[in-house]
Amino acid sequence: MSNQTPALVIDRLTKRYGNLTALDSLSITVDRGRILGLIGPNGSGKTTTIKMLVGLAKPSGGTAHIAGIDCARDSRKIKQMVGYMPDKFGAYDNIRVSEYLDFFGAAFGIGRRKRVKRIDEVLETTNATYMRDRYVESLSHGMQQRIGIARTLLHDPDVLIFDEPANGLDPQARIEMRELLLQLAASGKTLLVTSHILPELSRICDQVAILLNGKLRAFGSLPEIMASITQLRTFEIQLPGNDAIAAAGKIAREFASDESDAEVSESPAEAIIRLRTAKSDSELGELLRQLIMAGIAVNQFRELQADLEDAFLSITQMDENGTQVADASSIEKQTEVAQ
Amino acid sequence: MSRAIISRELASFLRTRRALLLQVGLAVLFATLVLLRWPTDARIDRFGERSREVYRTFGFGLLAVVILITPVFPATSLVRERIQGTLALLLAAPLRSSTIYIGKSLGILGLILVLLAMSLPAAAACYAMGGISLGGDLLALYGLLILIAAEYAALGLLVSSYAKSIDSAVRITYGLVFTLALLTLGPHQFLQGGDGMLSDAAEHLHCVSPVAACMELLGQQDVSGQGLVAVGGIAKRHAVFALFATLVMAIWTIARLNHRLLDRPKVAGTITNELGLLSRIFRRLMFLVDPQRRKPGIPWFVNPIMVKEFRTRRFGRTHWLMRMVSLCVILSLMLACFTATGSTDWSVETIGGILVVLQMGLVVLITPSLSAGLISIERESGGWDLLRMTPVSSLRILTGKLASVVWPLSLILLATVPGYFVMIYVKPGTQQSVVRVLICLALTLVFGMLLSTCVGSFFRKTATATVAAYSLLLTFIAVPMLIWVGRDAPFSHSTVETSLAFSPAAAALSAIRVRGFEDYELIPINWWIIVGMSAAFFLVLLMQTWRLTKPD
Repeated sequence: MSNQTPALVIDRLTKRYGNLTALDSLSITVDRGRILGLIGPNGSGKTTTIKMLVGLAKPSGGTAHIAGIDCARDSRKIKQMVGYMPDKFGAYDNIRVSEYLDFFGAAFGIGRRKRVKRIDEVLETTNATYMRDRYVESLSHGMQQRIGIARTLLHDPDVLIFDEPANGLDPQARIEMRELLLQLAASGKTLLVTSHILPELSRICDQVAILLNGKLRAFGSLPEIMASITQLRTFEIQLPGNDAIAAAGKIAREFASDESDAEVSESPAEAIIRLRTAKSDSELGELLRQLIMAGIAVNQFRELQADLEDAFLSITQMDENGTQVADASSIEKQTEVAQ
Repeated sequence: MSRAIISRELASFLRTRRALLLQVGLAVLFATLVLLRWPTDARIDRFGERSREVYRTFGFGLLAVVILITPVFPATSLVRERIQGTLALLLAAPLRSSTIYIGKSLGILGLILVLLAMSLPAAAACYAMGGISLGGDLLALYGLLILIAAEYAALGLLVSSYAKSIDSAVRITYGLVFTLALLTLGPHQFLQGGDGMLSDAAEHLHCVSPVAACMELLGQQDVSGQGLVAVGGIAKRHAVFALFATLVMAIWTIARLNHRLLDRPKVAGTITNELGLLSRIFRRLMFLVDPQRRKPGIPWFVNPIMVKEFRTRRFGRTHWLMRMVSLCVILSLMLACFTATGSTDWSVETIGGILVVLQMGLVVLITPSLSAGLISIERESGGWDLLRMTPVSSLRILTGKLASVVWPLSLILLATVPGYFVMIYVKPGTQQSVVRVLICLALTLVFGMLLSTCVGSFFRKTATATVAAYSLLLTFIAVPMLIWVGRDAPFSHSTVETSLAFSPAAAALSAIRVRGFEDYELIPINWWIIVGMSAAFFLVLLMQTWRLTKPD
């Protein structure tokens, strides 16, 4: 794959099952060596997208190219180019890890001598060498996920596609999985990862695509997505105690009174004023000055960084025209359940 | 407490679309059976012989339904609950093991009763024709069928309590059911009329088969009878056996229904390479091909799919194959020894017939269990998508999978060949018959494998695939045999010959001139039919595999 060719180019990719449109005109471009996070609620079209990329499903419209190769037309080349780990492990009974990997290596046409060496390498990469003689079915879920990744690496593909790799993993295994994915990206592989566990994705992904009802609702880096969703930023003003909180709140409200979207809230228990505003940093300096001039001591004046969960919640609460449609708490609960 | 389990068992099946289809299908089947034999001439049958013929056909149909359908419910019951985790909930509830067992058994029997109820209109039609009594015929038949269902339900639940997976439970249960129902008839077929312990044992053994018991109730000649000895009371003896077996298996299963069922460690696997030198030498001597030794990689000239199939099969490893082949060689040579030493008592044809029945039994029992899940097990476990992601072509996938079935079956069949060589040595005139039998066996193997794989490839669940494959293969093998049982009355010679032409087992038996089959000329027409159907199954299978490997 040449350095100039994007690793993944998806152009108006569409998949229909009868009347149901599972994926609607998805367009994405990902450069090589990047990690793309594909997120969305259940049934949003993530797995459908992946299946079309790896040649397991035929697009109803549009195209997808991996390293310049058409996913639908040249599935044989795509299979050599892509390592795919589905959300279901695909374990066989009565087979040891080394035999399992040996089988897939042989299926990919890797010669016996090279295969033996390659199995050792991928087991080492995934920190799973000690599992090589164990039966696959006896492994825990986290161990099986690592063997799944080892399997995808066997034929040394340029692009790795992982469907829900962190699903069902305990916190320790999740951290290990995250480090492994970062390590793979550092070695030059391009990764496409889907997950319900948004904090995990936000820590590793260079780019994020948010799908909702089969449509791409946001795409880009996290700051870009946040900027595209809203101009408002959130600030916290930490006071030493809650004595002056009412006075501080009044100043903040007056300061933001010329903005219709701005919100000011007080939390006496924490002695914090929260302000959502679109004003610039220099304008906010004026607020700080007003507070100090009013004799209010300010311990901290900080901006809260938006995370992927905020972006996801904001987007899933909007309908196609960008207006709020869903109750935030219900979606929050949905996300928690998914985790 | 049992009532809740019974309701759940019944509701979980009856609310499915499959249940509705099964009920409608059975009602249509029974009605068709009666209609096919319904008298069409205007003569008055004063002795009710014609209506008894209708009743017999109907009875055979009922028996076939009970034997084919009953085992699947209990076989999947406990093992499915264990895999899904609901067995843990049941055992954690304040329920006795016996309560759980009774609930499950009665639930399964309830299902069978619902299915048998579909036959009541047809039974009423038989009764309306006259010639059969309500108590002596119909009620006795239904009573016996319920006993058989109870026996197989107990057997299935027992197997289910041991099984590791749903499909293995189905395979083992069907294997045992067919052994009890059909293979128990074999020895009596050959040994009847003789003196001594063997003959007596064979006579008792054939009472274990529900087929023999039902035949007696239906007023049919004994299934394996040849007019030599007419021993009565088979149905009563079978009923006693069924009750006793049900009770023993119930106690056995109840004793197993406790926390130990869930308290199974995962076998991590030891490896010989890491053992001491003495242990390694000992294992090498004991196993020849040590299953615990680290394997070298799959060579380039071997189909990796075939190797994977062997490795993932519990008894697919080389040391198990060697054991099975050795057992077959020993069995075959023992029969050969009988041939050489007792050919004047038994005749070469009788020994040949035993060999054929044994081999056919092996093929019928083993082939679907190896072939039916070849594709469905991959689809069920998620391995199929992984296979599709490799550059292996659909043809290579299929040939690899089929080769993994052909090899062990061929080895097992070849291991029984020495017995035939001794037969030819004792009676050189049998050479042509032996060659014909071997061709029949080879064709049966190929036919059974292609039929089972083809049928199984249409199902996502291995258990369903296995049941469907067994049912269809048995239809081809056993239904013509049941028609043969009714030779001369109600079925004419030509009807029997035509139906036997579809059964590879009958062709082999006729080739070796076993008593009862010597009047039928089934070769080469049977070969053409089997080859034609095998080719059709292969084509369908190839298309189905190709379709399944293509993008959705």
